[in-house]
Amino acid sequence: MSSGDGASKKSKKPRYSRFTQQELPACKPILTPALVMASFISLGITFIPIGVSHLSASEQVVEIREQYDEICVPSNYTNPTTAHQERIRFIQDSRTDKTCTRTLTAPHKMKPPIFVYYQLDDFYQNHRRYVKSRSDKQYRKPRSETEYGDCDPESTFNNMPIVPCGLIAWSLFNDTYRISVNDIAIPINKKDIAWKSDKTHKFGSDVFPKNFQNSDLVGGAKLNESIPLSEQEDLLVWMRTAALPTFRKLYGRIETEIEARDRITVVIQNNYNTYSFRGKKNLVLSTTTWIGGKNPFLGQMYIIVGGLCLFLAIAFIIVYLIKPRPLGDPSYLSWNKNPPAH
Amino acid sequence: MKRFVYINEDNLAHDLYCDNRISNRKYTIWNFLPKNLWEQFSRFMNQYFLLIACLQLWSLITPVNPASTWGPLIFIFAVSATKEAWDDYNRYLSDKKANEKEVWIVKQGTKKLIQAQDIRVGNLVWLRENDEVPCDLVLLGAADPQGICYVETAALDGETDLKTRLIPPACVGIDFELLHKIKGVIECPSPDKDIRRFDANMRLFPPFLDNDVCPLTIKNTLLQSCYLRNTEWACGVAVYTGNETKLGMSRGIPEPKLTAVDAMIDKLTGAIFVFQIVVVIVLGIAGNVWKDTEARKLWYVRYPKEGPWYELLVIPLRFELLCSIMIPISIKVSLDLVKSLYAKFIDWDDQMVDLETGIRSHAANTAISEDLGQVEYILTDKTGTLTENKMIFKRCFVSGTFYGNENGDALTDAELLSAVSSGSTDVIRFLKVMAICNTVIPVQSKNGSISYKAQSQDEEALVRAAARLHMVFVNKNGNFVDIKFNASTIQYEVLDILEFTSDRKRMSIVVKDSQSGKIILLSKGADEAILPHAYTGQQVRTYAEAVEQYAQLGLRTLCLAWRELEDEEYQEWAVMFKEANSSLVDREWRVAEVCQRLEHDFEIIGVAAIEDRLQDGVPETIETLRKAGLNFWMLTGDKQNTAIQIALSCNFVSPEPKGQLLMINGKTEDEVCRNLERVLLTMRITSSEPKDVAFVIDGWALEIALKHYRKAFTELAILSRTAICCRVTPSQKAQLVELLKSCDYRTLAIGDGGNDVRMIQQADIGVGISGREGLQAARAADYSIGKFRFLKRLILVHGRYSYNRTAFLSQYSFYKSLLICFIQIFFSFISGVSGTSLFNSVSLMAYNVFYTSVPVLVSVLDKDLSERTVMQHPQILFYCQAGRLLNPSTFAGWFGRSLFHAIVVFVITIHSYAFEKSEMEEVSMVALSGCIWLQAFVVALETNSFTILQHLAIWGNLVGFYVINWIVSALPSSGMYTIMFRLCRQPSYWITMILIVAGGMGPVLALKYFRYTYRSSKINILQQAERLGGPILSLGNIEPQSRSLEKDLSPLSISLPKNRNPVYEPLLSDSPNSTRRSFGPGVPFDFFQSQSRLSSSYSRNCKDN
Repeated sequence: MSSGDGASKKSKKPRYSRFTQQELPACKPILTPALVMASFISLGITFIPIGVSHLSASEQVVEIREQYDEICVPSNYTNPTTAHQERIRFIQDSRTDKTCTRTLTAPHKMKPPIFVYYQLDDFYQNHRRYVKSRSDKQYRKPRSETEYGDCDPESTFNNMPIVPCGLIAWSLFNDTYRISVNDIAIPINKKDIAWKSDKTHKFGSDVFPKNFQNSDLVGGAKLNESIPLSEQEDLLVWMRTAALPTFRKLYGRIETEIEARDRITVVIQNNYNTYSFRGKKNLVLSTTTWIGGKNPFLGQMYIIVGGLCLFLAIAFIIVYLIKPRPLGDPSYLSWNKNPPAH
Repeated sequence: MKRFVYINEDNLAHDLYCDNRISNRKYTIWNFLPKNLWEQFSRFMNQYFLLIACLQLWSLITPVNPASTWGPLIFIFAVSATKEAWDDYNRYLSDKKANEKEVWIVKQGTKKLIQAQDIRVGNLVWLRENDEVPCDLVLLGAADPQGICYVETAALDGETDLKTRLIPPACVGIDFELLHKIKGVIECPSPDKDIRRFDANMRLFPPFLDNDVCPLTIKNTLLQSCYLRNTEWACGVAVYTGNETKLGMSRGIPEPKLTAVDAMIDKLTGAIFVFQIVVVIVLGIAGNVWKDTEARKLWYVRYPKEGPWYELLVIPLRFELLCSIMIPISIKVSLDLVKSLYAKFIDWDDQMVDLETGIRSHAANTAISEDLGQVEYILTDKTGTLTENKMIFKRCFVSGTFYGNENGDALTDAELLSAVSSGSTDVIRFLKVMAICNTVIPVQSKNGSISYKAQSQDEEALVRAAARLHMVFVNKNGNFVDIKFNASTIQYEVLDILEFTSDRKRMSIVVKDSQSGKIILLSKGADEAILPHAYTGQQVRTYAEAVEQYAQLGLRTLCLAWRELEDEEYQEWAVMFKEANSSLVDREWRVAEVCQRLEHDFEIIGVAAIEDRLQDGVPETIETLRKAGLNFWMLTGDKQNTAIQIALSCNFVSPEPKGQLLMINGKTEDEVCRNLERVLLTMRITSSEPKDVAFVIDGWALEIALKHYRKAFTELAILSRTAICCRVTPSQKAQLVELLKSCDYRTLAIGDGGNDVRMIQQADIGVGISGREGLQAARAADYSIGKFRFLKRLILVHGRYSYNRTAFLSQYSFYKSLLICFIQIFFSFISGVSGTSLFNSVSLMAYNVFYTSVPVLVSVLDKDLSERTVMQHPQILFYCQAGRLLNPSTFAGWFGRSLFHAIVVFVITIHSYAFEKSEMEEVSMVALSGCIWLQAFVVALETNSFTILQHLAIWGNLVGFYVINWIVSALPSSGMYTIMFRLCRQPSYWITMILIVAGGMGPVLALKYFRYTYRSSKINILQQAERLGGPILSLGNIEPQSRSLEKDLSPLSISLPKNRNPVYEPLLSDSPNSTRRSFGPGVPFDFFQSQSRLSSSYSRNCKDN
């Protein structure tokens, strides 16, 4: 265009271009009733089946959820008047036995893989102080262990770098579960629960935990210092911070089938302190379908939106029939009606 | 305050007054950076961005990388600074050129060549023919023995004719050599900008002893920027120099222009800023409260017990930064970009090329195209703007015969040519008057061709026409004029010139035939100044009818007359004339009285009709723009009657009875006041009637009105859609613009001459016509066009589209920023009000820079209506004028839309990506892609015409979003490594996107459809009509019908039978324009002098009919 412009200044009649004359061929759609109604009807017709199939997929998911934070506090700690403080005292007491056994019943047949999640409620992994308190560089390479990033206040211990640094790693979830079905212990597969990309790229296979949880103030789980970060899959899962205060994180997978009405016994090591901030802890066993876990929201919304579209289409058709209005009628132009008012 | 100028005293006054250096520069090298930065930072937006950028340097509070703000900010500043520097450098170069021009001055009695910038007050400056006057001079000597010299003042007041300047009487006769040594003192007022007045006195020192103090007027001056013409040399003393000259004083500093749209955007930005502050305060308090009540319990956050002193500020400041994107930094860049494209479209437009000269339209100011669509008042110059500024002799009426009526051009009329060759006495005499009775100066070039220099274009036209008819005015040598008629030369001695004044409305010349010795009085003038003085017995009626007929054709008429004088009569009179001429008091009046004694008992020879052709398409343009709701004011330096004539012929004012002209005249305050009140009263009464009422005011009255009755005049200005201001000076033009601007009207000034420069600079939009009066106006203007008629396209097409596009673009920019900002705010409620950013730095920066700015930039190609439809329905411009597409309420619509869309995106995202899917990066990308999808559909819905480029930009941008994110997701070092690949593999991601689009756009579409169909605006109706094809044809037809209907229904204010009104009865209907061009009854000079006069002329016409 620039060359054409330069030439055109000199010549009397410039090179004609559809772009410069703003005359590119254009398609000028307008909102005719037919177009609008057709689009609403077709939206409605496509949305409702999608919604139904999504909803049914969600219904096929078998999900067992057990909230255990309150129940797993022994009864001698549950004086109703001071329950809150009592629970905190319980969880912070390192000597008490925190084992807790829960028995669940499978409502339907659960086909493997059955995913074992822990769900925390009201846990703000997205809090600004928390979410920033990490150093991806440090996790990736052993050389950069002093690159703390925003790890404060969990970056050094006695001037020695903490690996992995930061509040997120420090507060690693440390409840453990053992599951038996009909009194037969079944293993929970904890391999490959973290993202593959995290194992290969985000966390170094030659970076080992150092000085972790050494200070007086112990956050969550401790790490085996002989295992590189990339193999610490629980940590990797935990480090994928959740955007919502209620979230589930993968604990492991069960590879055996669970029949309907099977008795599932879970032995929980209730170590993690959610009592101070009245957070809830849940254990979730869930199967998956093509939509992932149980989530009726999308299906419901599709049906609602599809229904609304159909309703709107019908409403527009009725209005159109009752009160037809010709498009582009020049008699609606005020200056054709009255002399220009000045 | 007075200043005393000592002529030719080298040692005096050197340091008292400034030198002659002209400076239009804004900066120097040293103050450029601070001054420019200061100027840029005086804009609120820039201050805001700087503050945000600085805050971002504080890592405790910044949610994103500071580079994302600093980069664009520095870029923006560098671009504007470079532009300013370039402009200023060009100004410096042109100043330098003027300052270093070499001139001759006298120093210590000898002539020296110095640079113009070194001229000091008191210096004697010598000029040669065609030199530009370097500073304001008082004439002391000239080549002409009588002390006359000629100047062209076009650059000063825009009048192209030559003006005579006289040496003050005290200096007449001083020898060339002696002039070098002249000494004296001039007492003159302090510098001012009045180019019509110079009240000074001069006293010469011995040996040029003259006891009298010699009064000086503007006639004795040569003002800066004028050109010396037809005078071998002239010499003068510098009285005002540099920026203190009359020109320099009247040169206003052009202020940077801010469009109404810009102002509105600033206002809306302010509102958003207030909103932002409220959000920040609310969220800041909530955040601090939450922190102290809840966050302390979150052991994993580990809030320190005691924070630093500024702890309370941290969370509000974090929110401030988080919300800072509410005000999009990209809006300035995108607006600048599209604005320069609007300007380019004007430059490129093939339909605005003057085919005769090949001059293209040009937008010098690229920033104000939207204002073109919002203009309410157009202030136009007359000569050269509306007219072509070419006077051409077209017809004549001599002794009962009309010449030129058949073919419209007397010069080719065979009848006239044969009359000339056959030597018809009347015709010969007619030609002689044409050739002699003037102040034209013939200039013989080397190849023998003769060109004429004239003060008046009319005279030039007459002389040229006479030459074409073989009566050639060959030479003027002192008092002798040579006329060549058919190879024989006739010489006349000019005895006296009875000059033209606007009171007398005629000029006469007394010549003596060198052969026969007969003394003849030749006169020409307005019919009412000539016809009543015909000798008793001559039948005047035929001439009056001829005048009438010509006037109705829009021609300027002159009556030519002649009388042979007796020797004694002349001698007797000549004495009186000399006496009157040398009188010091009431000279003009006394001269007029004496002239009266000679100018009687005329023998009327004929009537000449001259055409000052209107430019092509002027009436149509004015009519169309009128319909579009624009008000026209004509500001001209020309005479009142000429202005009115032109105004009538170009639809500017309607002839009676539809229109009414109200005069405001008067020389004294009382008179003006009375007139003003009368006109105001009439205006108020008639404002309800569908009548074109216009007022006419002349420069003198205007000055009084502006000075003493500003309030009343302002009211008048508001009431009146049309005004004609005659004899106004450049600064008065600018004052009128200022007045209208102060009433909050958008003004457009259009002109072609140097006298329009100030008005052009003062107006919101200045349009220059690159015409015959040079390029000053075009250079000073924001837009230069080749012809007046392009104004229609400039306003209706370019202005309107620009406004529409900017309105969409700016509101859309806010919409998209608010959208993402609302999501951040919502997210803060589920992240412990701690100020976490849901989106990462890369996304936030790219969101404004890439993802959302490209599709909307293509809206510069959007056309809501085709150009043809707009031209057929100029009324649609009203939407732009009234700012219907960008105002707080439309903005509220966009605000609501972004709030709604933010809710849709946020709610759907956090519900469909809950529990095990609630990974931060994934949720962030889902929300971001939701925004991108929505904004693509919003742009698509708001686009009226899709060209291939729009499709490319809108859908290509969506593809681009994924490509960019896939690339970023492929980088292991980036935070969002693999995220986008993971998402795109999930069916629920795509299902979520479709849901967001349907949920976000469905209601918007439904609402838009409803309004489009059942509450449709005029634009919608025209769109429908245009695109459905059918009714568009009838649209064009309906309008004239309804207009004629309206004409019939409109109450006739004057109860004259319509068919008897000459206005509606063109005598000649040879051209389709004849109706339009038909005039009110009138005599060419001085008609409509007053209301009573008007009605009397009507009754006279009726009688004649």
